[in-house]
Amino acid sequence: MSDANRDAAGGGRTLRDRLNGRLRGRLLTALAAVTSVLLVGAFYYPVGTVLIEAVLVDGAPTLAVFGELLRDPFYFGELARLFAGESPVAVARGLLSPDRRLGIVGFTAYQAALSTVASVALGLPAAYLLARFEFPGRRTLRSLTIVPFVLPSIMVAVGFVATFGTNGTLNRVLGAAGLPPVDLMFTLEAIVIAHAFYNAPLVARVTTAAWESVDASAVETARSLGAGPVRAFFDVVAPQVYPAVLTGAALTFVFTFGTFPIVLALGGFELATVEVFVYRLVRDLNYAEAAALAIVELAISLGVLLAYLRYEARNSVSSRGVRPLPRKPLVPTAPTAREVLPRLGLAAYAVVAGLVFVAPIASMVLASVTGGDGALTLEHYRFLLDRQRTGAAFQVRPWPAIRNSLAFASAATLLALPMGVVVAVLTTRRYRGRKLVDTAAMAPLAVSGIIVGLGLLRGLVFGVEVAGWRFAATGAVAIVVAHAVAGYPFVVRTVAPGLEGLDRSLIESARALGASRARVIRDVELPLVWPGVVAGAAFAFAISIGEFTATVVLATGADAYTMPVAIERFIGRRLGPATAMGVVLLVVTGLSFVVIERLGGETRGL
Amino acid sequence: MDSERDAEPSRAAPAVELDGVTKRYGDTAAVDDVSLRVREGEFFTLVGPSGCGKTTTLRLIAGFEEPTAGTVRFAGDSVAGVPPEDRDVGVVFQNYALFPHMTVGENVGYGLNFADPPDGVSREERVAELLELVDLPDAADRDPESLSGGQRQRVAMARALAPGPDLLLLDEPMSALDAQLRERLRVQVRTIQSELGITTVYVTHDQEEALAISDRVAVMRDGTPEQVAPPRTVYREPSSRFVAAFVGDNNVFAGRVVDVDEPVARDGEREGTTRIAAVDVDGETLRVAIDDATAYGVTPGDRLTFCVRPEYLRIGDGASRLRATVASAEFLGETTRVTLDWGGRDLVVRTRDPLSGEVVVGFDPADAHVIAADDG
Repeated sequence: MSDANRDAAGGGRTLRDRLNGRLRGRLLTALAAVTSVLLVGAFYYPVGTVLIEAVLVDGAPTLAVFGELLRDPFYFGELARLFAGESPVAVARGLLSPDRRLGIVGFTAYQAALSTVASVALGLPAAYLLARFEFPGRRTLRSLTIVPFVLPSIMVAVGFVATFGTNGTLNRVLGAAGLPPVDLMFTLEAIVIAHAFYNAPLVARVTTAAWESVDASAVETARSLGAGPVRAFFDVVAPQVYPAVLTGAALTFVFTFGTFPIVLALGGFELATVEVFVYRLVRDLNYAEAAALAIVELAISLGVLLAYLRYEARNSVSSRGVRPLPRKPLVPTAPTAREVLPRLGLAAYAVVAGLVFVAPIASMVLASVTGGDGALTLEHYRFLLDRQRTGAAFQVRPWPAIRNSLAFASAATLLALPMGVVVAVLTTRRYRGRKLVDTAAMAPLAVSGIIVGLGLLRGLVFGVEVAGWRFAATGAVAIVVAHAVAGYPFVVRTVAPGLEGLDRSLIESARALGASRARVIRDVELPLVWPGVVAGAAFAFAISIGEFTATVVLATGADAYTMPVAIERFIGRRLGPATAMGVVLLVVTGLSFVVIERLGGETRGL
Repeated sequence: MDSERDAEPSRAAPAVELDGVTKRYGDTAAVDDVSLRVREGEFFTLVGPSGCGKTTTLRLIAGFEEPTAGTVRFAGDSVAGVPPEDRDVGVVFQNYALFPHMTVGENVGYGLNFADPPDGVSREERVAELLELVDLPDAADRDPESLSGGQRQRVAMARALAPGPDLLLLDEPMSALDAQLRERLRVQVRTIQSELGITTVYVTHDQEEALAISDRVAVMRDGTPEQVAPPRTVYREPSSRFVAAFVGDNNVFAGRVVDVDEPVARDGEREGTTRIAAVDVDGETLRVAIDDATAYGVTPGDRLTFCVRPEYLRIGDGASRLRATVASAEFLGETTRVTLDWGGRDLVVRTRDPLSGEVVVGFDPADAHVIAADDG
């Protein structure tokens, strides 16, 4: 029987089969090439053209712009004196004096540090609750921690205005209780709380995952060796959880350092961060200084990320929780201090968390149906409808915003998915230079959205000339490209772990059974990482729907505005329509998620 | 009879042939200049400690790796550059590697997407046939996750066999199972293999399993086979100290030849002659039979390494006797494995009755097997 088989198989391997095999082998290479071209065209080239202006004045390379920037106290505060050549002692004394100046960069780092502390403080109790306690709805709550991260930032900003504004929910509650009103608008506190809203769930997520992977037998070993429960926690659990907290903190710092819409809406130009100033410089057509400032921003963000990655490489503990720690019931089992105190703490935390996470969304919804006199009304929604019917060409109308948002998000997702999957495949293969590919592919996460937007505006929309051919894209195409570039790293991040964890022998089994390499991708690898692909699609879609920074640059004047841009234009005049538009955005985003989940089938939580 | 099976049949090219195959990873050679021939229909086992290169050898045959040097041939033809999917091999991995997103039936039928079932049966018939063969006739619609380890292993076997491969490659397919199940399954694997007559290369670190299941065994060490022979030969006539110690329990002695007897006929079983050498091991003179291969070269003053299996060491009997004290004993059921202390070295014997204190053990010259003799 075996001889006959061999003959049949051997005879069937014709030249055409071999040629086919060759082509299939090249398929990945071709896809990788297309992705690279897209990345270069939509990211590296446009960003490069903007950044180059910082070091190229009138065609000659110079570092003068940087020099001026570094010596300018407006940007670097007291540190600028150091760059200007003053003695470090004098600068240190200046930094310690009460009337020190931080400068824009210093303030940005300062608010990022405060936001990081606030996010960790707000995230850790949540991780403790999610990792160590069992209660109804725990899984749902765990899934919900992803929500703030994908909420459109401008909508969150509107929510915070509705909560902490002069006529916000907080002051209404205080007023009802007979207390004096507080004004949190345009303060550092408001910005820090809004950042915590965004990033505390991220901290909670990574910490919970690490905590859940602590092996109970490690704790039990420590206990049997004589360590008390507290000692065992600090000796065994904490060292395994601590790197995850640091991961969350590092990411929070980087995200909040580059923050834009929240500060723009809650801080105004008085409390401007670097990114807000880059935006302002761009609006003033001061491109060289904007580019130099963006490079400084990028350098600091990448510095933090690299320092963190080095730390992670040295300290990564890859222990798989064979048996996770048992969860405790939320109701105390005995009236002892040890049982009751942690739960009381969690109850207090629940109140704070409710204020931070639920109040902004609830306030936004409430404000959208509350009139100036405090009575329930639908006037803000009616305003949107009227504007749709009678709005002039230059005015922002709701329907084009919704239509644009959905169209851009769909197109960006369709573009980001294959890009992300290809990059995920490339970065999970083993070869020399893989780290470099990984870094180059992830760079869009760290670069200022303003600069990406500006680069695309000048590079794509105004047109480029390549070998005598002139390429120009419409604002809409540029926005889609910008969103795809912003969203695909998340596809990579959701797909790559699945590919990485895939058992090599599954692939080899399929090949031994006769499947070609390409066929194995279709039959084995894609089906097994499908939940990651769907999650990636949801991410890409959400990122696109919420993207504000690049969009606001590219949508200038054009009718390519999206829902977040519409909100920002409304918020400048009246809060009511902005909250109504925010609710529309919330509903559209929520519905889209349901649709993606239906289309993709069953998904695993990220 | 062992030597008969050892002889190379001259008629056909071997089903699998490795010719000077080397596989390097950086500076280390996982497989170092290996030449092996696996015959048509043979159950051939690669056995050795972890890191000996047995799995890499199997992967070179499957086509998951390409050799750094040397040639792999199937039925006389080089398979260099032929991808795994075109080699007509069936592979079973240690962790079974069942596709978790397919049912048992879909798993078994997967290979039939790329090859028509043999004997002109339909795809469904072939899947049913194979599940029948591995004794899981009703499992087609089940989810692989719902199966036990032993059942998964059998499904993996059925999946590998479904397209009717020329060659079955098994990479430690039972090492994740418990001992009892392992013994039962290896009988089943061997039965299926014999029934189909399919050439099989089996990788295991378990020497007992290798002896029990194989037609021939290659004992590997540091990327090279130390001995390739039928199980009985490997067990009774190990070719090196390593093989002697790796396969089963053994007592290895080394000493200097003090005297060699006149030739005598041995057992009447073999042609040629056997002589008896008197060997001085740590001051004790032990008498060892040396057969044709080494008989004429051995002279007094040579160094001789030989071994005596525990079951050949008899209590208070034998031509050569050693006085030793009992160090420890493990009761194994059928026998007791006793470790003795003989002047600071360990001796292992098997007995039915418990031993204690000082004992005399001995062996006859023919029960000793000479591993190496040299002039040094």
